[in-house]
Formats: sequence, C-alpha cells, structure tokens
Amino acid sequence: MDVGIDLEGSFIQSVTDLGVPAGAAKAIWMPLPMILMLIGATVGVLVTTWLERKISAAAQQRIGPEYMGPFGLLVPVADGLKLVFKEDVVPAKADPLLFTLGPILVVIPVFLSYLIVPFGQNLAIANVGTGVFLWIALSSVQPIGLLMSGYASNNKYSLLGGLRAAAQSISYEIPLALAVLAIAMMSNSLSTIDIVEQQSEYGLLGWNVWRQPIGFIIFWIAALAECERLPFDLPEAEEELVAGYQTEYAGMKFGLFYLGSYVNLVLSALLVAVLYLGGWSLPIPISMVAGWLGVSETSPWLEIIDASLGITMTILKAYFLVFLAILLRWTVPRVRIDQLLDLGWKFLLPVALVNLLLTAALKLAFPIAFGG
Amino acid sequence: MDFANLAAQLNAGTILPEGIVITTLMVVLVGDLIVGRSASRWLPYAAIAGLLSATAALYFQWDNVSPISFLGAFNSDDLSIVFRGIIALSAAVTILMSIRYVEQSGTALAEFIAILLSATLGGMFLSGANELVMIFISLETLSISSYLLTGYTKRDPRSNEAALKYLLIGASSTAVFLYGVSLLYGLSGGKTQLDAIAAGIANNSAGQSLGLVIALVFAIAGIAFKISAAPFHQWTPDVYEGSPTPVVAFLSVGSKAAGFALAIRLLTTAFPLVTEEWRFVFTALAVLSMVLGNVVALAQSSMKRMLAYSSIAQAGFIMIGLIAGTDAGYASMVFYLLVYLFMNLGGFICVILFSLRTGTDQISEYSGLYQKDPLLTLCLSICLLSLGGIPPLAGFFGKIYLFWAGWQAEQYGLVLLGLITTVISIYYYIRVVRMMVVKEPQEMSAAVKNYPEISWNLPGMRPLQVGLVLTLVATSLAGILSNPLFTLANNSIVRTPMLQPAVVSREVGQ
Amino acid sequence: MNLATGVQVVSFGILAVMMIGAALGVVLLSNIVYSAFLLGGVFVSIAGMYLLLNADFVAAAQVLIYVGAVNVLILFAIMLVNKRQDFIPLPRAWVRQVLTAVVSLGLFILLSTMVLATPWSFSTGPAAGDNSIVLIGQHFFSDFLLPFELASILLLIAMVGAIILARREFLPEQTLATELEQPVLTLPERPRQLVSVASDRNSSLDKVERQK
Repeated sequence: MDVGIDLEGSFIQSVTDLGVPAGAAKAIWMPLPMILMLIGATVGVLVTTWLERKISAAAQQRIGPEYMGPFGLLVPVADGLKLVFKEDVVPAKADPLLFTLGPILVVIPVFLSYLIVPFGQNLAIANVGTGVFLWIALSSVQPIGLLMSGYASNNKYSLLGGLRAAAQSISYEIPLALAVLAIAMMSNSLSTIDIVEQQSEYGLLGWNVWRQPIGFIIFWIAALAECERLPFDLPEAEEELVAGYQTEYAGMKFGLFYLGSYVNLVLSALLVAVLYLGGWSLPIPISMVAGWLGVSETSPWLEIIDASLGITMTILKAYFLVFLAILLRWTVPRVRIDQLLDLGWKFLLPVALVNLLLTAALKLAFPIAFGG
Repeated sequence: MDFANLAAQLNAGTILPEGIVITTLMVVLVGDLIVGRSASRWLPYAAIAGLLSATAALYFQWDNVSPISFLGAFNSDDLSIVFRGIIALSAAVTILMSIRYVEQSGTALAEFIAILLSATLGGMFLSGANELVMIFISLETLSISSYLLTGYTKRDPRSNEAALKYLLIGASSTAVFLYGVSLLYGLSGGKTQLDAIAAGIANNSAGQSLGLVIALVFAIAGIAFKISAAPFHQWTPDVYEGSPTPVVAFLSVGSKAAGFALAIRLLTTAFPLVTEEWRFVFTALAVLSMVLGNVVALAQSSMKRMLAYSSIAQAGFIMIGLIAGTDAGYASMVFYLLVYLFMNLGGFICVILFSLRTGTDQISEYSGLYQKDPLLTLCLSICLLSLGGIPPLAGFFGKIYLFWAGWQAEQYGLVLLGLITTVISIYYYIRVVRMMVVKEPQEMSAAVKNYPEISWNLPGMRPLQVGLVLTLVATSLAGILSNPLFTLANNSIVRTPMLQPAVVSREVGQ
Repeated sequence: MNLATGVQVVSFGILAVMMIGAALGVVLLSNIVYSAFLLGGVFVSIAGMYLLLNADFVAAAQVLIYVGAVNVLILFAIMLVNKRQDFIPLPRAWVRQVLTAVVSLGLFILLSTMVLATPWSFSTGPAAGDNSIVLIGQHFFSDFLLPFELASILLLIAMVGAIILARREFLPEQTLATELEQPVLTLPERPRQLVSVASDRNSSLDKVERQK
C-alpha cells in the first residue's frame, strides 16, 4: 500500500528549512488542518442548505430560490448574514447562563467529531486509535446541550422538545453503536483510516455495504434519527411543539443550532461514506487504472491526482447521501413519538444484535471475506 | 494463548452449582415469559429444584483438588462450599415461604423468584470470590437484587421507604468499600488477586502504612453494612419492618452469610499484615452489636423489628468466632450460621404465617395463640428459644461452641459480654413465648379471637407448611444430633488452605 | 521542560481546577439542575485526566457512559419531576452545615495525609498506549472472564427490576368496576392531576415565525 502524499512532513520540512526549530514548526502546522476543516465544514453547510432548498423545490415541482446569485447560490450567505445581525433576545424569565451555554454545547461536539473523518491516506486530522468510538462518544454529549437549552428557555414546548431530543438520541445511539461494532469487527480496528483501507482493495465490490447490508440500513436510519431529520424530527415538530428546544432562540444562538444540525447531517453522511461506501477509494482501484495506463504508482502527479480524486470521491458520496436524506424528508411522513421509540428499541436494537451475531459467525466461518 | 489451552486453564467445572442457579434463573424468566401467569404454579418448585440440585452439586465438589478457577478469580475451597450451601438453602426455604405471601400481596411471583435467584447467585459468587473485581461485581449483584426485593411490593409505601433507605445507605457503603479496595490496588502495585495483593504489600514494605489501615477500615465498613453490625446497622430495623417478610428472611440469613464469607476471605488473605488492627475493629463492632442489638430489642413492639435487632445481636455473637481467629473460631462461625439458617428462617415462616392469617405483626397480638394454632405456637416457640440459646435446642450448642472458641483464644471479656447479653436476649424471646402460651382465654388479643379456620389447602399454603415442619425438625434435632454438622464445619475449615497459614501465625504469635 | 511536558502540566492544572470546582458546585449549589449539569463537567474533566494518562479508550468510554448516558438520565429524572420548589430553610441549618464541613474537612485532611505518607507501589508493566483496546479485550476474556460474564447477569436483573418498578399494574377487578367512567389511559396507581392553564406563555407566540 502506498503512503500517498505526506502533507505534514513536507510542510514541517519546508518550515524547518527556513530556520525554525522542528518543535515550533510542528506547533505552526497543528492548527492549520483544523482551521481548514472548520472552514470546510461551514462551507459544506452553506452548500447543503442551498441543496436542501433546491431539491425540496424540485420535489414539490417548484423552482426554488433563483434571484440571489446564479441559481440562488447566495441564499445561504444571506441567511447567515441575517442571523448574525439579528438581535440576540434572551427571554425575561429564562436562565441566561444555561440559555447561552446550550447551543454552544450542541455545536462543539459536532465540530470535534470532524477530527476523525479521513479524506485520504494521510488526509485526516488525527488517526486516533479509538476512531469511530470517539465519534459515538462525542455525539452522546449533544443531548446535554439540548436538555440545557430546553430547560433554560422556561417554556413548556422547549422543555418537551429537549426531553424528546435526549430520549431519541439515547435510544438510537445503541443500534448505531452496534452497527459500527459489526464494522469494527470486520476491519479489526476502530480507526476510520483502517476501515477505509480494508474496503479499498477490490474497488466497488469491496465496499462494506455488500457485506453489511443490514448494518448499513440500521446505521442510516439511526444516523437520520440522531440528526433529527424527517421522518424523525420529533424534537422540533412544528405542528406539536412550535419549534421544540429552539422555540425561544433567535439570532446567532439559533444560528448555532441551525449550523449544528446541518454540520451533523454532513458528518453523518461522511461517516456512512467512510464506513460503508469505501471512503476515499474509487469504484475502480486507482492502482488498477495505473496498471492499464502503464504509469508507475509512485509518480508524483499520479499521487496528487489520487489525493484530489479521493477528496472528491468522499465528498461526492457524502452529498449523494445528503441528497437521499432530503428526498426522504419529502417522501416519508413523520412518525409519532411512541412509534419512534418502538422502532428504536423493539426493532432496530434486536435486528442490530442479530446482525452483530451474524457478522461474528460469518467472520469465524469465512475469515477471508469477513476480515479474518 | 489459544482457545483450547485457555478453556483448560479456566477450570470452569468449579462453578457448576452457580451454573445450575443461572440456568434456573433463565428457566424462571423465560418460562414465565412464554407460559404467562399460569406458570406461577410450577415455577417456584422448579426454582427450589434448581437450588437443591445446586446444593447437591456443591456436595460433589467437596474436597476439590484444584479449587482455584478462572485464572484466580474464583476459589472453590471447602469454606466457600459451605457458605454457598448455606446461601442456596436459605434461598430455597425463602421461596417456600414466599409463594403464598407474594400472591397475597398481589405482585408477580416469577419476577420475585428471578430476583431472589440472582441475589443468591451474587451471594454464592461472593463466597468464593478471590479477586477484587469479582468481589465487587458479585457484591453488587447481591446488593442490587436486595434493593429490588426490598421495594418489590411497590404499592406499599413502607416498602418504598425501606427500599429507598436501603438503596441510599447501601450505595454509600459500597462507595466507601470501593474506595478502600482501590487503595489496596494502589498499595500492591496494580494487583487484584487477594494473595497477590498481600504479597505485593509485603514486598513494598507498606505493611504498617496509613494507607493500608484506611483501606482496612473502609473495607470493614462495607462488610459491616452487609452483616448489619452496629454502628452500620441503622438501615436494618426500617428495612426489616417495611420490606416483604420473605425478603427479610433472606437478608437476615443468606445475605449475612455472604457478608461473613467475604469478611473471612478478604481479611485473612489480603490483610495478614494488620491482623491485630482488624481484630481490634471487629471487637469494637462485636461489643457494640451485642449490646445495642440486645438492649434495643427489649423495647420493640413489632415482631419484625424485634427480629431485626435480634439479627444485629446474632451478628455480634458470630463475630466472636471471627475475632478468635483459630480453627475452632472459624468452625464455630460456620456451625452457628448453619444452625441460624434453620432457626431464623423457621421464625420468619411463623411470622409470615401469622401475618397472613391475621394481617399484623405486633407482639401483643400474639397473646393466646396457643389456643387457636398449636403448631404455629410450637414452631415459633422452638425457634425463638433456640435463637435465645436454651438447651437442648440447636442454638444452644452453636452459642456454646462460639463462646468456647472465644475462650480458648483468650477473648475473655468478649465471651463474658456475650454471656451477659445472651441472658438479656433470652428475656425478650421468652416474652413472646409467654405471650403465646401462658395467657388465659379471656386475655386473648383481638387478632387471635378472629383467627381464621386453619386450612392448608389454599394455594401456596402447603409449601409454607412443609417449610414450617422442616425448620422445626431441623432446629430441634440439630441440637441433639449436631455431630454431622459439627464435623462438616470443622472439615470445611481444616481443609481450606487459605485459613491455615493465618491460624499457624496466630498460634505462633501467642 | 519541553513543549509536550509543559502542555501536559498546564492541562493537568486546568483539568484539576475544573474538576474540583465543578465537584464543589455539585455539592454546594442549591439549584439541583445546576448541580446535575456540573456533574457532567466533573465527568468530562475525569475523561480529560484519562486522556492525559494515555488511556484514550477509557476516556471515550467515560464520556459515552457517564456524560452521554448517566448524566442525561439524571437530568431526565430531574426535569420530569422538578417542580422548582424552594426548600423551606430549616431552623439552625448552619449548625448542620458547619458540622458537615468540619467532618468533610477532617476526612479530606486524613485522606490527603494518607496519599502523601503512603509508599505507593507503582506498576512496572509497560504503558499500553494505542494497544489498550486489545489489552482490555484480552483481560476480559482471560483473567477477568468471570466478573465480565457475571456483569451480564447483573445488568439483566437490573433491567428486569427497573421494568418491574416502572410498569403499570393494571388491576383487573378495579378496572372492571370503573370501566364505564374512566378512559383507557388512566393509571390505576396515579390519578391525573388537573393541569392549570399557563397564562404567562403568550409572549412566545411572536417568536414562532422563523425560517426553516
């Protein structure tokens, strides 16, 4: 397996050449990918909101935004600007401290989770050994923020929304984690990079979705529920709860919720792409193409093409899933809260357990195909 | 380490009795799930059969050549076998007495039995646990099941109160115990097996450090809560009064036996360097328990509360054997617990029967019972007199043996105090007997006047009768024919390698 | 001291201050909701300590279980029952508080003396580092096998018990008698309270308009 390009190594090398000590060079490097990722995630959100408008419009046979910029591309920017300049209202009887802290607690873990998303062999912020487990742990912090903002708003709709959000998130975390566990069992690792590498050998045919079809569906349903997307957007169901825990929020605090939910959607789509759809690997392995063309695998321009193709592939797969999520939003009716909990505890959980057992049995029976 | 090699090293056959209990637990849970409510006709008998076959399996494990199993997590030596037998038997008798009681209280029987079985399981594992994590998990299995059982009749506010008190005090005592045990882990350099801990502490020359003493005190606090020794007894009266009576019976015998098993194993194996200190702490606990339990029991008007204080006092008596620290001392503990199993459970069966028929457990309501229900009166009198230590009943020999062992080990003060408090205890036991037997017909209490027709044909009454007769026979015969029990207790101590070095060092020290 | 140790010392300091401060807040604040949220802070700082000790799996598990499950459940329980009712101040409450403070302080001094005076024995094995998940798994299936399996029984019975305590008992004889006037969803053990109509909530109506 080739190592691909080592951005960090070459950056540190070039800075050290300028006469800076190695430790300081590393310290200069460290924030760069994080800032890049923050900007990337935010831009991703802008694109997603625009897509949401356009696709929703297409699903309802409308045109959607068209006057702000070409194809209405500037709508998300206008939205963002509006939210930034809007007055920041804290209700009179609310608890101001918790009211402010809530949205922050919701957003931080989502952005932190981007630590583990890989875009290429060396294109991840941190290849931590705990990998996906870290994401599951971080995403379990979110309900605390939701409960906090629901409680601090001093509004019954908010409180109900917060409680529903927490209940939903706890219930769907378990099938989600069990689906991830089956993947981890097959790849013998929790690290996202190892998981992608283990799928990338045979191109399209090696992707986990073929070996884990049940796990894929469980993961996708649970991820939608964790993101509170329709048909699982119970915490903010307009017809019942006004806007759930967001009811009292305005201005940038509302913006944080808005941002958080879309970042979370893109993150979930990225993780589905990484766990089940082969991450950055192409449908046809690039080494195979290089073999046909008679090009050496280690030639620099091929590596650059490989890396950029990898990033593109990851993002394409993720946005295909975002597209699916938006289509689902307009095709599936919202479930009731008891149906939601029934689905989580009485259907997904047993099915996920059976899936885990099945994977273990298959791993013992066919060690070649299921990760030895 | 490959699978076959590992499986051979585990030596899993030693937990066959626990395996039987787990299977029974599953049968009870799944059987109730599949068959539905009508399963409660055969479930208790299946559970009793399971517990008895677990006891039989224990019998066949006697004198096991390689008692250490699960790479040191579990030690199935003869001492643990005796204690596991006591716990399993007490659970079996508890089920006998609970069938009618649970049905009359309008709650589900199958879940009650399932939780009771898991408490039994926790106690059995605790008796043989040889490693800190195992001790903690089995202790928690026992405790959490006990909390659940205590609050089982959830429509009864007294039961709720008892469960909440038990849970809160129990949780804090567990936390203290865990803190002490974690100190042991640190002192020994990251060891969790008890003998490795002792070796690690000795290597590290931390033998007389403050850390070890604090670990000892904290661990004893956790154990003393389980055996309800004063001053860690505050939960006992309230919990005994509020919770369902069969649960109290189990707590007073099974749970207590598990606590003593833990005490013997943990103190002799992990704390050999501070033997004098733990003897001293336990002497204080024993003195307090005997005095407080017996004196406060005098003033009780409720039968269950009186038995609660009496059980505190009995724990004090049993501790004399632990403090003696000789072969005879430990053997007398085991012997007394065996006898206590029958007499205390017999007493509780009588209390249950009386409260099922009259709906009260006030001592004054027992007056004149002799005229209406001679069998109940006989059984209750025998059990109470045996608890008090009247010859020739079983309790007398148990106490004599305890006191003799204490005297041999030169614990003169403690034995004298034991004798004095025994005399006090005889007073309040006799008071109940006198109430039942001596009163004239016109002095009969209202509850006894309205005493219902005695019929053993009601559902669930027959097992109660069986339990009554069984404990009655055992309590009266175990005194006269005590030799087999005596040999059993002695053998279990002599053949336990763990206790031998402790005994030897004690004798050398004198 | 190089960069790495410096960062470690500073983060240890921050985490320690956070943990002690949050723990004091849990105990001392009178608003139980604040206490619960601060408890989450304590748990997160402990996870940070684990990270400093190179135990990243344990840290993630700490966050997942204590913050994500235990603390959320505590908050749930508080928010479902909290009536925002202030405690009636007890007469002579300060005596108890002073006594508690003295006892706690004494215990603290005793334990810190113990920590300083005891010759701790340090584990000599190599640090697990990235290998920790594999090591934990190996322990679970060799020398900690029995407690690991017993824990499953413990969890099973805890779940059964929780369901027993929480389930509604429909009593057939009572529901038969009152079937005519009672709707199906009424609980036999807990009669419904009349919900008073909230009047101070009309200000929230004008915030409803919000783009989605």
